[in-house]
Amino acid sequence: MSGLEITGLSKSFGGVCALDDVSVAFPHGKINALIGPNGSGKTTFFNCVTGMIRADSGRITYRGQDLTGRPPHRIARAGIGRSFQLCRVFPRMTVLDNLLCAVQPRTLRAKAGRSHSRAETERARHWLTRMGIDHLERAEAQNLSWGQQKLLELAGVLMSEPETILLDEPAGGVNPALIDRICALVSELNAEGRTFLVVEHNMDLVMSLSHHIVVFDRGWPIAEGPPSAIRSDEKVLGAYLGV
Amino acid sequence: MRSDSEPRTTTSGSRTGGGGRTGPLAAPIARHRVALGMKLLLYAVALTALFTFPDVAPSRYEVTVAITLLNYAVLATAWNFVGGFTGYISLGHGAFAGLGAYGTALLVVKAELPSFPALFAAAALVGLIAVPVGYAALRVRGASFVIVSIALVLVLLLVFQSWASFTGGSRGMVVPRPFPGMLRTEHHRVFYFLFAALLALALVTWWLIDRSRFGLGLKSIREDEDKAQALGTPTFAYKLVVFVVSAVFTALAGGLYALWFGDLDPVFQFSILSGAYMVLMALLGGVRHLYGPLLGALVVGYALEYSKLEYGDTPLHLVTAGLLLAVVVLFMPDGVIPAVRGLAARFLGGGQSSIREVTAAELLHGQRAAGSAAPPDSRTRKEVSS
Ligand SMILES: Nc1ncnc2c1ncn2[C@@H]1O[C@H](COP(=O)(O)OP(=O)(O)OP(=O)(O)O)[C@@H](O)[C@H]1O
Ligand SMILES: [Mg+2]
Repeated sequence: MSGLEITGLSKSFGGVCALDDVSVAFPHGKINALIGPNGSGKTTFFNCVTGMIRADSGRITYRGQDLTGRPPHRIARAGIGRSFQLCRVFPRMTVLDNLLCAVQPRTLRAKAGRSHSRAETERARHWLTRMGIDHLERAEAQNLSWGQQKLLELAGVLMSEPETILLDEPAGGVNPALIDRICALVSELNAEGRTFLVVEHNMDLVMSLSHHIVVFDRGWPIAEGPPSAIRSDEKVLGAYLGV
Repeated sequence: MRSDSEPRTTTSGSRTGGGGRTGPLAAPIARHRVALGMKLLLYAVALTALFTFPDVAPSRYEVTVAITLLNYAVLATAWNFVGGFTGYISLGHGAFAGLGAYGTALLVVKAELPSFPALFAAAALVGLIAVPVGYAALRVRGASFVIVSIALVLVLLLVFQSWASFTGGSRGMVVPRPFPGMLRTEHHRVFYFLFAALLALALVTWWLIDRSRFGLGLKSIREDEDKAQALGTPTFAYKLVVFVVSAVFTALAGGLYALWFGDLDPVFQFSILSGAYMVLMALLGGVRHLYGPLLGALVVGYALEYSKLEYGDTPLHLVTAGLLLAVVVLFMPDGVIPAVRGLAARFLGGGQSSIREVTAAELLHGQRAAGSAAPPDSRTRKEVSS
């Protein structure tokens, strides 16, 4: 089933070519991984797909819908949520408000309505409980530990009810116990029907978690396939070992 | 042994819970009550003072100062729709006040509209003008936005100064009084209450937005605009809407001032200074709080009026304003209200110096509550099994 499809995506910053005519597709309903050495264009790829930066050229379609050139909030509404590489939460807001910010009222009446409605607060608590940070509901986000902030960011993304979730280094700077927890969550959420695209440097995590892997090197996909194939791919080894 | 230890721990558990009601558990509730009581008292005092002031004021002069302060309060609160919610610092809001003032004056003089319909029509027009202005200005963030907002005032100043045939140019413009036969004292009294009503309207609107989903969206823009977008918030539309609301309230204040004062000078109407005062007042009071700008307006406005009275029309009031700004930025980056709240909390023995402590206290509170509600809790069982 076709999910996110990218054709001919290019982006350069001044002289640096971050993405060079990239065409990839990620199957819907799976846990996909995007790996590659530092500076290979993974984050730039996320930024282009989510509309945070405008690509120089290329087309982005999602489930048959053309998303090229749409502003970020429209892409979010099309069902694509994302986390940021260096975890981003709303620092001077409570944990609960962080989640309620992800609720997008459609009608004028809903926009004018109270932000702390009962149904939405309950839904937010559900996600906080699932992340195991429900006891921090009233704490200001900036006072949370790094790991708690990562969980909070994930809870916020989930609160916006995306079908597809792009995670940029979910295990970055996180202790091993929490890494396991995050992996378990991703698997569970995938089993519930959500598609993932995970950028990650932790190879154990990538190999054990993902169904489909795409490898970038210098803004260009050099390999793709299931973990077993990627593990033994010479070009991948070359890119990582700098051969 | 088992049957013995279980009830004992249970009773001791409920005893700490019961004891808590008068001891540690009662503290947050009592503090809450005290805070609520103080709040109600403050409201009562403030409202009484507001309503009786024109009658008890020693002379007409005090009433005019009060009107000036109320005008500042409306302006600062209006500014805070943009500055407080979205974090965009506009130094150009003086332009909307000036447009409101000139719009009202021109509609009265040239179009011969009655005063108050002219005021509302002018505010509506400014709202319309704010759409393209906001559309252009809100595309840039941070310092760039500040500079664009300054440019807006300067352009309008040039226009209104040079377009003499229409606006009276640099000689200014006389606005007919709305109640021609009325005595001076009564005129001031009426405008005192009109400004108070406008302030109330602005505060209620701010409060309504503050508690709404729209308001939370705006605040998420202030915190991290990219993140807000990634979560699906239509940030640009939100900013534009609140910018227009802010411009309309600013214009209403400017127009009401024109009707009250009766004399307009483009140099004062379109000065960066008036925009800078709004920023200073809001920052001083605290932009995250409903009453922050109001409080800041009272402090700054009073200081300005006082230095004008004592030292005449020297640049000294500018020095006063500059000093106040320095104090705020250095010592109270969040404004007076949070600073005072922090002090009050310490004074009441809460020790609420950081959110972390509050959560820790609440955690404990929650655990205690759970402990007393369900006596054979996990603690008891653990003791039994061990
Ligand atoms: N805003 C920017 N301005 C200029 N150059 C940029 C910008 N963003 C990225 N680049 C460059 O584009 C290239 C790709 O960067 P990108 O952040 O996408 O890499 P990455 O694969 O996410 O790396 P990492 O694994 O270290 O996070 C790098 O050479 C980087 O220096
Ligand atoms: Mg990256």
